[in-house]
Amino acid sequence: MTAPLLEARGLRTVLGGRRRRFGASVPGVSAVDGVDLAIMRGETFGLVGESGCGKTTLGRTILGLQRETEGEVLLDGRTVSGVPPRVARRLRDSVQYVHQDPGAALDPWWSIGNTLREALAIAGVPAAEREALIDQVLDAVGIPLSMKRRYPHELSGGQLRRIGLARILILRPDVVILDEPTSGLDLSVQATVLNFFAETRARFGLTYLFISHDLAVVRLTCERVAIMYLGRVVEVGTVAAIFDNARHPYAQALLAAAPSLSMERAQDAPVFEGELPSPSEIHKGCRFRTRCPFAAPACAHTDPQLEPVAEGHHVACIRWREIPDI
Amino acid sequence: MLALWRDRVAMFGLAIVLLIVVLAIFGQWIAPYPEDAYDVKVWQRLRPPSAEFFMGTDALGRDIFSRVIMGAQVALIISVTVVLASALIGVPLGLIAAWRTGWVSDAVMRVTDIFLAVPQLVLALAFAAVMAPSIQTAMLALTLTYWPFFTRIVYGEARRVRSALFIDALESVGASPLRIAVMHILPNIAPAIIVRATIGFGVTILVAAALGFLGMGAAPPTPEWGLMVAESRRYLPQSWWFSLFPGLAILFTVLAFNLLGDGLRDVVDPRLRRSR
Amino acid sequence: MNARADIEPLMAINDLSLSIDGTEGEVKVLDHINLRLLPGDIMGLVGESGCGKSTLVKAVLRILPKAARITTGDIVFEGRNLAAMSSRTLSSDIRARKIGFIPQDPYLALNPVFTIGAQLLEIMKWHGARPGPGSNRALARARVVDLFRKVRLPDPEAMLSRYPHQLSGGQRQRVLIAAALLCEPSLVVADEPTTALDVTTQQQILCLLRDLAEEMALSILFVTHDFGVVSELCKSVTVMYAGQTVETGTMAEVVFSPLHPYTKRLIDCHPDRLATLEGIPGIVPSLIDPPGGCRFHPRCSEGTGGCPRRAPILVTQSPGRAVNCIHFDDVPA
Repeated sequence: MTAPLLEARGLRTVLGGRRRRFGASVPGVSAVDGVDLAIMRGETFGLVGESGCGKTTLGRTILGLQRETEGEVLLDGRTVSGVPPRVARRLRDSVQYVHQDPGAALDPWWSIGNTLREALAIAGVPAAEREALIDQVLDAVGIPLSMKRRYPHELSGGQLRRIGLARILILRPDVVILDEPTSGLDLSVQATVLNFFAETRARFGLTYLFISHDLAVVRLTCERVAIMYLGRVVEVGTVAAIFDNARHPYAQALLAAAPSLSMERAQDAPVFEGELPSPSEIHKGCRFRTRCPFAAPACAHTDPQLEPVAEGHHVACIRWREIPDI
Repeated sequence: MLALWRDRVAMFGLAIVLLIVVLAIFGQWIAPYPEDAYDVKVWQRLRPPSAEFFMGTDALGRDIFSRVIMGAQVALIISVTVVLASALIGVPLGLIAAWRTGWVSDAVMRVTDIFLAVPQLVLALAFAAVMAPSIQTAMLALTLTYWPFFTRIVYGEARRVRSALFIDALESVGASPLRIAVMHILPNIAPAIIVRATIGFGVTILVAAALGFLGMGAAPPTPEWGLMVAESRRYLPQSWWFSLFPGLAILFTVLAFNLLGDGLRDVVDPRLRRSR
Repeated sequence: MNARADIEPLMAINDLSLSIDGTEGEVKVLDHINLRLLPGDIMGLVGESGCGKSTLVKAVLRILPKAARITTGDIVFEGRNLAAMSSRTLSSDIRARKIGFIPQDPYLALNPVFTIGAQLLEIMKWHGARPGPGSNRALARARVVDLFRKVRLPDPEAMLSRYPHQLSGGQRQRVLIAAALLCEPSLVVADEPTTALDVTTQQQILCLLRDLAEEMALSILFVTHDFGVVSELCKSVTVMYAGQTVETGTMAEVVFSPLHPYTKRLIDCHPDRLATLEGIPGIVPSLIDPPGGCRFHPRCSEGTGGCPRRAPILVTQSPGRAVNCIHFDDVPA
């Protein structure tokens, strides 16, 4: 078994807490509450969950911009956690991040060319080499070199997406975190975008952490996927294992809820009662039990850990053996 | 810039501002009696407006028209100096306060708030009162009371930009806070600063005039508009021209800067930058 | 199937064209739109961004910017032409009364400084819904609470005094659904109401809408870009592209036997169908200077020479099934 390229062990990130000198401190929210992940070189690893599950925070913690409260992040076996964000970013400069809205990630007052040159300048690439690198990457993402003089507002969404990716590709990363890359896109555009990311991955030998709320898209593009709920990974495995044999009730519900092009109406599928509880309500026991159709009294006392279902397929539920297939 | 053209009101403001600038630079050659800035000609005191003296003469016989023109230079010097100096103090403070929440930010903003809580004129008066009346005093007092306006606007705008996605992206590629503040946040908030400065020119002239009027600023015989209005008080209502024309000068100048500033606010937008 | 041809539609949009005057010229947002909505139907209005679906439904209620004007056609609802109606009549008779509207973003549609109860009671007051204005406030409250129960909001009584920020996205959307139903309209127009919601919440809302439509004998016109949603909720579908109606029929007909080339390619882009990631070549045309005839022809792999000149009309293939494409103009008898 080769060692994973990127690993997270017992990661916890608490957001928003403030200690006040006078008056009560505000307790923070554990947006990420005990996550273990291992991403292998060259794979596309999906991270799925709904809003409030902590996937964006997890992405930013792995990136280093958000400092973890507890736990470790390992890159190629080396511990790169336990340091403030600026140091973390230097240590983890082989991990880069692509934002959901590519146009918004570019400074509107800077031309495209200058933005790219700056990224290289910050990375310490000598001035003489910068132009060649930029030209090479722009070519690879299909942007004509004449665009270097343009400003973000003069370009289309598709072009901006490519440039956003180009800006991190020139830094030659190993891991790219894609944050909701297809959210809000029309279906036809989505297909093009996914294609583009796949080609780029092959060409540059990248490893992707693909964060999305859209299971259907994850199924198409990822090899393995982890499903998050309220700061924890509740199930992880290969795409085939999850889609054919999801064991966690939440994973099953997510799969059932996704609107699909099928003749059978999902009228009989388990519809969720209630809503996502706010992360600041800490439950004892399984955090899903308030909405789980299979909750048993034991679920209130044990906090389920990830157990193996099969090789490479883990689930965090004490009743997984008894839960029927969907 | 084309959009500014279409804004007639702003163009009107710009025209007057340009006029003031021209008067300030070339006043000596435009004014019919440039020496009247300082000379005294008692024999022609308090003459009403005529062909010889377009705006009449004042209590010391000086041509008011010439003095109003020369006053433009004084007004502009005061306002430019004050606005520049306030910006140099206020903008960096605002950037520092906006960078990160914490005690530094709180400290800066609370001091700013204290300054802003007191009307500028009153505060300036307080400062000026402890120094001898002069233009320099006025400028110092005005600078000390105007920088908070810059800090407040820079703080608000910089915080907004600070939370923008592209700043996040820059941090992600390793940009230092200084680089981000100076090369990325500053250009994006420049429009707000420019607008603030433009309006500031007008406001400064007004407050300087008030200081002058109250005897805390420019001292006689400086041809400062506020001072001229102060001197004219004793001769109202008979010598109405003595107060009216300097007063109108103040009015139009401040109005012009405000209109220009408003027009600029509507128009300055990063989307106007075009590739060459 | 033949019965469909005989039923009087609840709403018929006939040959509707609409332009918006913009800074760069006249934007021909809608081009000869044809749509028939039968009573009791749940119709999905599907298309990608910029196709005009939102504009179309807003045109029905005429909640469009001033610069928008209807250039041809009419909107016949319960026998009256909405396009020719004065704004005042629309306000007093149609909006909220006969046609309810569920907007897209639950976060923006509610006023943050008023309680939910206050906002809904105000709607009732504005529209003098039964009970009439000035009459019993208690009756009005009871009606609102009853609707809250119908839309499955937890704790309906307490909901009256809550503020929007205290509710989750799904709850806010339910409030908006309740608001749309307050005056017992016969038609509800929903503008992508689930786009901003999580998948599990979306499922709940779709279920709710399905049940409400049955319970209250509602017709729903549901705007979406997601074919999956259409197949979960809708009975019939109309597909739009670049301001034109491209195809219409029952859900099964359109989703499983699409006729129009655009529909086929769009459905193939859905992740459930995607074998290879292809997309549709080309880009959406400018609506200031759109292609003549069928606006899809520049991107269409089955285009012919006649396409740019063909009048964009829906040709009925069978009752309730129509296509706007040159290849289907000759209908077998």
